[in-house]
Amino acid sequence: MSTDKHSAVRHTAGADGPYWQALAEDRLELPRCEGCGRWHWPAVFRCGECGSWTQHWHAVPAEGTIFSWTRSWHAFDGSEGIGVPYVSLIVELPQAGGRRLLGLLEGDAAALRIGARVRGRIAVTEIWGERIPSLRWNLVDGGAA
Amino acid sequence: MSAGFKASVSVAGVGLRQYRRARAPLPERGVLVRAIVDACEDAGFDPADVDGFVAYGDDKNEPVRLMSDLGTKELCWSSQVWGGGGGGIAAAFGNAAAAIASGQAGAVIVFRTLVQDDSGRLSGAVMRHHLNDHILGAGLVSPAQLCALRAQRMFEHHRVPPSVAEQLVRASYYHGARNPNAVSYGKELDLDAYRSARWIAEPFRLFDCSRENDGAGALLMVSTERARDLRKKPVQLLGVAQGAGKGWGDLLENDDDYASAGFASVARRLWAQTGLTPADIDCAQLYENFSAQGIASLIDHGFCTYENVAEFVRFDNLIAPDGTLPINTAGGNFAEGFIHGIGMAVEAVRQLRGESANPVPNAKTCLLAGGPGAPTVSSAIFSNEVVS
Ligand SMILES: [Zn+2]
Repeated sequence: MSTDKHSAVRHTAGADGPYWQALAEDRLELPRCEGCGRWHWPAVFRCGECGSWTQHWHAVPAEGTIFSWTRSWHAFDGSEGIGVPYVSLIVELPQAGGRRLLGLLEGDAAALRIGARVRGRIAVTEIWGERIPSLRWNLVDGGAA
Repeated sequence: MSAGFKASVSVAGVGLRQYRRARAPLPERGVLVRAIVDACEDAGFDPADVDGFVAYGDDKNEPVRLMSDLGTKELCWSSQVWGGGGGGIAAAFGNAAAAIASGQAGAVIVFRTLVQDDSGRLSGAVMRHHLNDHILGAGLVSPAQLCALRAQRMFEHHRVPPSVAEQLVRASYYHGARNPNAVSYGKELDLDAYRSARWIAEPFRLFDCSRENDGAGALLMVSTERARDLRKKPVQLLGVAQGAGKGWGDLLENDDDYASAGFASVARRLWAQTGLTPADIDCAQLYENFSAQGIASLIDHGFCTYENVAEFVRFDNLIAPDGTLPINTAGGNFAEGFIHGIGMAVEAVRQLRGESANPVPNAKTCLLAGGPGAPTVSSAIFSNEVVS
């Protein structure tokens, strides 16, 4: 379940620094505006809706539904560490205001479709030899809605 | 007369040098200078009198370095449109128009250059512009995959029939097969080969994807008044819009209207600016990085909707001379060749001059729609009926 502890936190200074920090500690967190309650993703320094500079990071369950997907068959440069074919997902998180996160699908893909429920865990993806903390998603109940 | 667009500027000359990928006879600057000199000769204009340059898509050729080759007397304007993809192609004409209309420059070259030995693979360069660990962690390393995600949403969720993509690809190849300067000249698209080609990233197979060429394209823009005294009939820029609407652009796949090509706000401004509607467009050069994104671009511009797309996007409807909207009349990025879309701008001008290999009879207007799905997109309308 846990992230390989050898994967250093790659980013700390950006607006999304806390995301990477949390991921390295095996937690999924997303930011919500203190001023207006909006979930912002990508992360912001300032909420463009209400002007607040205070964004609080909240633990979010890695649960959602597939918003879109693609299965890569071409061995794109850099993806050798994954190995084709593989399925990339966009997942909509209802418990984070419908914001979407990315990741790879693992496990049985027979019921892969938009709208299918998925549950995630934190893992590492190797791209161009670099180890990147990222999410792995599994279809829940074989993808039943 | 265009109510909202204040500049009266025209394309006076075009030049296009295209080679097989990694086969350019000269490094990038040399190929670019050739295309610029071609454009000037086309117009009957001294290259030394060009005083402005605009590019897009992270072109590596800084205009000041061209001065010795061109004999430039004075450089007055150099700018580039933000964005790593082809979204900025039409906006580049807007930059040139701004320079000319405001008096900051008098003769501006819009250009794009791509020679693999110098700039590497375009797909890699576009991705480097957008790369971040969020995308990489999901195995997304290529523009094809990011566009595939949007295409899948369009087909599966919005119920656009995937067969429309085939209609678009067929139209581009039909025109390319009849254009002696196209990479696919003389080669009809084999539908069985299209349908059974290897997967790249679902829902895209090989022929749903554009493939890169080496080369350079250049278009000379001057005031319409000045263009009248040059060799070729002016092709006027009727309007141009660039940008992104709220909720669009580099949002880690969190864009509103995700399956679109991002043109909603740009198209609205372009139609308002020109007073035209999709029905007034006689032909279109529709940047297709990938087949589905070309479809999304047509929908965004108002030519059709998710509901009636299959009625509009029919092969017969998209080809010269008789289609309602002939598209990519030189073959487009798919079949003419792909120098980051600059060939489509050149074809817009050639079509309106009657110089196209696939002429559209009496065409008066041509839409140039930039790289669909890019964070910043742009579109322009050209006309051979000079209005001011
Ligand atoms: Zn707020």
